Order: sequence, then C-alpha cells, then structure tokens
Amino acid sequence: MIEKILARASGRKTVTPGEVVVANVDCLLLHDLSGYLTGRVFEREVRRPMRYPERVVMIFDHHFCPPTEEGARILQENRSFARRWGINLFDCGNGNTHHVGVQNGFIRPGTVVVGSDSHTPVHGTLGCFATGIGNDSHAGTVMPFGKAWFKVPDAIQVRLSGTHKRGATPRDAALWLTGTIGEGGAIYKALEFAGPYVEQLDFWDRWLFPLIVVDLGAKCGYIEPDEKTLSFVRSVTDKPFDVLKGDPQRAFEAVWEWDLSDLEPQVACPPTVGNVKPVTAVLGAPVQWSELGGHGGGRIEDFRLAAQILTGRRVHPDLRFNLVPSSRAVFRQAVREGLVEKLHEAGATWFPPSTGSNQAYNMGAMTAEEAMISTHARNFPGRNGSPEAKMYLASALTVAASAVAGAIADPRQYL
Amino acid sequence: MNGGFFSKTVFKEKPMQARGRCWKFGDNIPTDRIVRTDLVFRPFSEILKHVLETCNPEFPLKVKPGEIVVAGKHFGQSSGRAIAAKALKQTGIGCVIAESFARTFYRNGFEIGMPALECPGITAQVSDGDILLVEIDSGRIVNETTGRELQARPTPPFLLDMLKAGGLIPMAERLAGEG
Repeated sequence: MIEKILARASGRKTVTPGEVVVANVDCLLLHDLSGYLTGRVFEREVRRPMRYPERVVMIFDHHFCPPTEEGARILQENRSFARRWGINLFDCGNGNTHHVGVQNGFIRPGTVVVGSDSHTPVHGTLGCFATGIGNDSHAGTVMPFGKAWFKVPDAIQVRLSGTHKRGATPRDAALWLTGTIGEGGAIYKALEFAGPYVEQLDFWDRWLFPLIVVDLGAKCGYIEPDEKTLSFVRSVTDKPFDVLKGDPQRAFEAVWEWDLSDLEPQVACPPTVGNVKPVTAVLGAPVQWSELGGHGGGRIEDFRLAAQILTGRRVHPDLRFNLVPSSRAVFRQAVREGLVEKLHEAGATWFPPSTGSNQAYNMGAMTAEEAMISTHARNFPGRNGSPEAKMYLASALTVAASAVAGAIADPRQYL
Repeated sequence: MNGGFFSKTVFKEKPMQARGRCWKFGDNIPTDRIVRTDLVFRPFSEILKHVLETCNPEFPLKVKPGEIVVAGKHFGQSSGRAIAAKALKQTGIGCVIAESFARTFYRNGFEIGMPALECPGITAQVSDGDILLVEIDSGRIVNETTGRELQARPTPPFLLDMLKAGGLIPMAERLAGEG
C-alpha cells in the first residue's frame, strides 16, 4: 500500500524499497512548538511563498493557555505566521494535534501526510502514508514546493489474533508490542498491522497501533482501509478520496505473528517506552499523579474505561487524576454520556482539550521525587520537569485503578 | 520553477572528513536528552551548556570542534524536531557515528548539514576518548588510538550531495534556481 501511495504521489508507475523519491504532500500537520521552529526556518532561510496553504494545519496543543510570557509570545508569533500565509489554525482548547487533524477531515486514505510531531505515523490508521519529518523538510520543501523526499521503506506485516481477557485492552497490546519488538526493532520499515485481532477493533482502538511505530524506529505504520475505516472517514469529511490497497499476494520482508489472548495489563516503566512489564511486576510503585490524555489517550474510550473503575469509588486523596480530552468532540461526547459529572464527582479534574502533560508546557511538571502513570505515548527523562521524575505508561483501566489505589494497581482487582 | 528540485544532483566538492576525540554514548538516546524539552526555545548559547548533559555532564563543558560522537543503537529517538541535530552541530562536532539511528534524527542530520554515519559494531571497537579519523564520503573510520579500521554503511549519494550543498534548504534553493 505504501509503495502504491508513494508511486502515485511521485508520478511514477512503481517504486522500489531503498529508492529515494520526491512526492507530493497532501497534508502538513504542525503543532505550536515545532510549528514555531518550522515557521522561523521558513521565513528566515527559505524566503519563498507558501505554495499550498490550504494543506498546512497548525494546532496549538502543548498550550491551552500559556503560563509564561515566552509561551504567550510563541503562540502570538504562530498566529501571525498563520494569518500571514493563510494556513489553517486551531488555537488553544481544540485538542491534540493528531486527533484534531483527523476529526476535522484533513487526513484521508491514500494520501501523503507529514508532520512535525514524531507520532505522525499514527495517521496510517486511515490508510495513509504518514511519517514525521524535520523542520527543515517542512520549511525547505513542503511549504515552498508542496513536496518532500522519502526513501521507500521495506514492509513488515504484524499479524495479530486472539481476544483479550478481562482487564487487558488494545492499549496493553500496543505497549506489549513496543516491549516485544523493542525500541529500534523495526528501523526504517513500514509496519502493516493486520489479522483478525486488528479487524475486529474499532477505529480509535486501531489508532493505538500505528501510534507506536515511531518508537520501534519504523518510518510508518498502517492498516489497510476497510469498511470501518471508510465509514469513519465519511463521518468526519465529505471531501473525496481515493483508497489504495496493497496487492493480496504482496511480499513482506517479514511477517511477525502473535496471539494476544493471554495478555495481562502492561506498564511501560521509566526510563524508556520499551521497558514494558506486566502490571504485576510494578504493583504498589508510588505515583502522585495519574492522567488520561496525550496522543494515545484522551479518547472517549479511555473515559468510559475509567468510569468503569471509578463507579462507586473515589480518587485516592494522596494522588491527583487529570482528565484531558483529545478534542472538543470527545469532551462533548463525554458530557452527553454523563462521564464529565461522574468522573468529576469521583475526584478527578478535567483539563481543556490539549495534549496535556506531554512535555509539561502547560501542565505536568514534577519534582525529582514524583511519578505519574498515564496514557501518554512517551516516558523519557527530561519531558516532565525534573529529569529524575518518573513516568509510567499504561491503559486507561490501569491508570484509573492506580488513581483509586494511590499507587500502581492491577485493574483486574477493580472490575 | 515547478518543484522539480532534486532532478539533478551536481554538487562536487572536496571529500569531507572529521578527526578528533570520540565521545561515546549508549543505546536509544532520545532527543529529549540531547536537548531538554524546557530548553528548546532558548538561544543556542544556553542550549549548548546542556547538550547531552544527563548522559555525560562533561560533554557540554569539554566538547571541541571536530570531535566525534559515537553512540549505540537507535540514536536520536523520540521527538523529530531538528533542534537536537542542530544543537549537536552547534557544538562543532565533525560527525555522529552510531550502530543505528532513529530515522528522523538521521534525516535531520543531513538536512542541516551534519553527517551521520551508520556503523554496526562501532561501539565494540572504540572507547570513549579514542582518536578517530572519519572519511564521510567513503565511510572509512580509522581508530588512531588502537590502529583498527572500520567501515560504515555507505551513505546514499543523494544525502552526500545534500551535505556538500550545506543542507536541504540550500540544496533545494540551488536546484530550484537552476530550474
């Protein structure tokens, strides 16, 4: 599928892995931080007009309300940049960059999507070729020419099967795969997620798999579009699109198969995303913060899971539980389902749609003694205040169970 | 000019090389440890005091132009922003050699004009402080301290051209100018 998309976007009949191609880019997603860096490079070093401003989308997600003058200045400069060049702008309070891009119909199957955020490959969930590239690619080739260079990747298929037992969720499966394939375990590859397990998942649970590929070192991840994908895309946009699918007999460099039936809840422990253990190995580890939010969380599914745990229970008095919807659409849905009141009354705190404590620009700084358990995508030192602060990554169920216990807990004891 | 840059790659200049002390780092070093996220918007003069400090506090204090960073697997993972590569380049280092790179770091390196060589097995063959001579074009690496020679994986000619042009932006500009 990736080769077909890249061939079409570069005006060729076919492309071969290893080849460098220059492809047309359909969508460039920027957030408030790297969008700012990209804007500076574009205006200081490139000095050409923006060729396709309608394809460029900037989303303020690390800030929902700047806490410092420096932050306020960055956002003001971003607003001026967006106005000057006529690009799409979603200001503070709209949500997480990837969720906002999808919910507003900018991402469509068969297209080439690039972004300044390294988790941009998540858009492969919609059957795109999507990858993160750096500021100089955006500023130097995407903005002035509508193009970018790509080396065509080899593809590996990850075939998943099985049905989860109580307490395990697709997020646990994604965490387990990160630990099992390993950081850097698929460098430069395109990873296709397939098999009966993936087929039965709904769109926002499928989302969790292409999300992890960057940490495996892969260039992109994707799921072949099916009826579920197409009905999701039609629910967010009426713009036309043209689906491309891989040949049924296509060859992969490798096929990795796993049955996920016996999977236990998983936790990615500090200091890296690949340090994944069953929750039973870290039971009782102290945490003072818990959060649903970030690229991999803040979905309506996450708030529903948390509500299952918090029914008839309260957040532990020694711990704070942050709830960060990934988009305004998710918050609206949470209101409609009564989740906002239910989780509020249980002692959790709602925050504006944003990327939450991701890199602690607006929230989420910790001291060296503090730790958080969250649905975020990253846990590297230096992203949340003190470089010694600890971040654990887990499913919404495990995060909510830990919020009740005041320490890392097994959600199976609360279901 | 209709976006036909890269149609010709014609930059021919003298072969590039680096020679100097090696600073050795481990596997999976994220960009967050190259440049801490709270320093991303600070001036380079401030960022440079902290580059890689949580991996080796001596590095930002003592690194000298022309020296060489050697790292393990998947160097530069996490954020894809070019600031990590730019900060390393600003230290004056001659190149980065790793067992393997996170692809955004590798890409950013060449785009901003800093060579990144992939050399599986390098970490077993060099120690922190060894003097290395690195020929960027051919990928030949000589450990002058031990006398051993190593061969990095070849760098695609397209990326060598990018380096010789001074990075992606000047390359696209020169090629766009030539129509």
